[in-house]
Amino acid sequence: MDYELLIWALLPDLVVVIGIFAALGIDYGWLRNRDLPDRNSKIANLVSWSLFLGLVGMVFQGMSASEFNYAAGQLVFSSTRYALKAVIFAMAIFVVQLSAREPVTGQVSEYYALLLLATLGMGFVITSENLLGAFVALELVSLSLYALTALWRRNRPSAEAALKYFTFGGVSSAFMLFGFSYIYGMTGSLDLRGITGAFAAMPVLPPVLLTGWLLVLVGLGFKIAAAPFHAWAPDVYQNAPTPAAAWIATGSKIAAIMLLVTLLEPAISAPEESPLRIALGVALAGLAVVSMIGGNLAALRQTNLKRLLAYSAIANAGYLLVGLVALSNDGRAAVLFYALVYSMATLGAFAVVSLIGGRLGRDAEINDFRGCWKTMPGMAGLMFFFILSLAGIPPLAGFVGKYYLFLAAIQSYGDISSWSEGWYWLVALALVMSVVSLYYYLKVLKAFLVFDEDGRPEVEIDPVVRMALIILAMGVIAMGLFPQPVLDIFIAAG
Amino acid sequence: MIAISTIILSFVGALVCGLMPARQHRSIRWVALGFAVAGLAAAICCWQRYLPSTEFSENFADVINADWIPSLGARFHTGYDGISLPLLLLTGLVAVCGVLFTWTLDKRANEFYAYYFALIGGVYGVFLSLDLFLLFVFYEIAVVPKYFLIATWGSTRRHFAAMKLVIYSFAGSGLVLLGVLAIYFSAGTFNLHLLLSREHFTPGFQAIVFPILFVGFAILAGMWPFHTWAPTGHVAAPTAASMLLAGVVMKLGAYGCLRVAIGLLPSGAKVWAPLVAGVAVVNIVYGALVALRQKDFKYVIGYSSVSHMGFVLLGLATLNATGMTGAVMQMFSHGVIGALLFALVGGVIYTRTKTRMLDEYDGLIDRMPAIAWLFIVAALASMGLPGFSGFVSELYVLLGAWGSKNLWGSQYGWIVVGAGVGILATFGYTLVKIHEAFFRTRDTAPGNGEPTASYEPLTIPEMVGCGLLLGSALLIGLCPWLLTNTISASLNFFVERLAN
Repeated sequence: MDYELLIWALLPDLVVVIGIFAALGIDYGWLRNRDLPDRNSKIANLVSWSLFLGLVGMVFQGMSASEFNYAAGQLVFSSTRYALKAVIFAMAIFVVQLSAREPVTGQVSEYYALLLLATLGMGFVITSENLLGAFVALELVSLSLYALTALWRRNRPSAEAALKYFTFGGVSSAFMLFGFSYIYGMTGSLDLRGITGAFAAMPVLPPVLLTGWLLVLVGLGFKIAAAPFHAWAPDVYQNAPTPAAAWIATGSKIAAIMLLVTLLEPAISAPEESPLRIALGVALAGLAVVSMIGGNLAALRQTNLKRLLAYSAIANAGYLLVGLVALSNDGRAAVLFYALVYSMATLGAFAVVSLIGGRLGRDAEINDFRGCWKTMPGMAGLMFFFILSLAGIPPLAGFVGKYYLFLAAIQSYGDISSWSEGWYWLVALALVMSVVSLYYYLKVLKAFLVFDEDGRPEVEIDPVVRMALIILAMGVIAMGLFPQPVLDIFIAAG
Repeated sequence: MIAISTIILSFVGALVCGLMPARQHRSIRWVALGFAVAGLAAAICCWQRYLPSTEFSENFADVINADWIPSLGARFHTGYDGISLPLLLLTGLVAVCGVLFTWTLDKRANEFYAYYFALIGGVYGVFLSLDLFLLFVFYEIAVVPKYFLIATWGSTRRHFAAMKLVIYSFAGSGLVLLGVLAIYFSAGTFNLHLLLSREHFTPGFQAIVFPILFVGFAILAGMWPFHTWAPTGHVAAPTAASMLLAGVVMKLGAYGCLRVAIGLLPSGAKVWAPLVAGVAVVNIVYGALVALRQKDFKYVIGYSSVSHMGFVLLGLATLNATGMTGAVMQMFSHGVIGALLFALVGGVIYTRTKTRMLDEYDGLIDRMPAIAWLFIVAALASMGLPGFSGFVSELYVLLGAWGSKNLWGSQYGWIVVGAGVGILATFGYTLVKIHEAFFRTRDTAPGNGEPTASYEPLTIPEMVGCGLLLGSALLIGLCPWLLTNTISASLNFFVERLAN
């Protein structure tokens, strides 16, 4: 066993683990008698530095990148995985900084330790091709996020949301584990490569194996908040501490999507007529239809901005699944690209909500942001780009992402003259639903940019957070205008 | 490079105006005027330099073809031909006049011009794109700013109208995207030059995709029964935005119908032409009759736009050189005259009378004679008075319709007769509304007994704006060959494909 290689590969994670212990120790030691805001900002900065060092380590790793597969797929590196893990770490720094100004709880170090544990877990989900490894990592993410959701002391429904999240999450994990056991039982392997090989060698598809995959879909459908496994999302998004909600909406989504794409690998590489492909395609299409319709229609009626973002997340999970129905390499690249783009825009939107809405002392309604352009034109302008990217308006990244998803869906059967074959009907439905979604997205922007109301308090924005927001917005614009370099990373994964 | 400088200038203009502080609205309007004039100048340069060619490979001028997103097959491919040329000129002209007619705007002027130029940049982009993906991107860029222009600076039911307009537009572009995807998968390229030069699609495919693309674009052109966004949107929009909407944005749709739907799918067009012509006649007649019933002056103009866009659609449906030349001419002509009418009603007259209701106008012919006569001339020009561009274009369209194998030559000949009825209806509402607006005195004026005061005369920016718009309508009316030569040269390639 090559320990040197292993330590090198895990260096970023080790740095973060040290950061977690340092945060806990320092909070309970030196900072014991300091007041809450002071403790909060000191620990947040400490934690940010450890994430940043981890990120730097990852950049070095990425530069000397080698394809790397360790311990039966428990630790796998490729350019895509490096990139996504780095994105997760970078976003985590932003989330930590968002929490730095406003302590949500007295348990300062626990809050950050949980955030970091969730981040580590996401990293491991992304770099795993092993059923067991991925499951453990995913549970690390989920357990941390359940606890984070409950941490908002001032907000009573926070505990209720956490309980809901936990019960739903526990059941869905059970489904997934059950599915894994079927897959393992039929193929005799936990490693995705072994599974793919064993599957390819099978003359017919055993029904148990298909059942296993469908159960996995149920479990992951919960993680990405696809309808009908979405019931937890609105409550959690609304009642979790806003930075934690942002992290649930973005980081865990990227990780779960990466895992979904990885687990579908046997179907993606299977021949065109394989029954597994057809069955999974139909199942994914069903989830996509329900998510798009349910999410978009429910979002129309929302008045609470975070709840609206939750329904928009459900709808977007539907669009993501549209890209997967064809089970193609392009679909995989499209889904990862869209997950990244979606997460950037959502993180930005959550950040704006957290910064401006945090001062209200209650849940921020959409109407609370009226007249925002007057007191905080910069924030309103940034929100403009985030929301329009979510809506898929060119030239922003959301448009390219959606277009690529639709392209991937149709590609398998590009002839429009036959509606029964191919996925034109699904893309048509997605387009209709995009039009519907415009209504509520514009409703948000109307509050920010159109209404002429005075008396909104001006909120001071921390320069670090402002910088990060501007970088996010630039990213959303740049990835819309010149998506090719980013697309290359995801397509190369092949 | 000159052609795409129109796009660049507009987006830079949006950025510069957007970043200027709002309280400096005086300098912002000069900056805005500068960018608009520069765009117009670039468009005029294009016009000067364009030479019609009989070779299709040389049809497009000033071509730029660069890599953009290879994985998606999209390229940055721009250029212009005789069809996009008049529309470029029109866009430049309306953009300049829009600034002139909102000269006194001081509410959030920086944001206003940021949206305004983003919209104009998108419009230039659509007219210049030779790549279907790029065209679609610009087409959508042109939608969102309209929402904010109307919702923020608009009037009558502005939030409702803005949302309605945007939802309609996006429903249209959803259809367009579906059609574009189908074309991409069938032909394997977005390159319009390539797509227009060869036959790519089976007749069955064309018959399915043509209505998707055509309806998608025609929603923006105000085609009945998807026209209802147009009057509400035009009425709610602030003056400059309603000038752009009526003058330019509706032409985006018509341009897409011609360039993409008819251009790429000629045999599909032949199948559907009679239906399109029928709908076009409904547009003409219905728009005119509804305009006759309106009490709000701006609604009259709004419905007259719907009616006039019917001529564009009818011209397209003829599928012959004369009719389609007329359609493009009508796009230019209605763009100029429609923008002028909106400017006069929504800007010039409204700022003086503070009302747009026809019942409340009281003897305007005496109280604002110059403006009233200006409006009357413009309205007559819009009605098709010889000497103005409207006459030439409608004449072309009708001649084309009579000469069209697909219409008069077939069992659908009655459609053409319907268009004649539409012209009568147009005469009707124009004259009635001119009478109601200017020549009626009210018996019970609110200031009874007081001498009816005259309104202030035209300001200098208004004069320049009116002069530019009316002047170009007159110029093209008297010398139509300035545009028709290049239009028909480029349309020939379409007609050849349609003849096969």
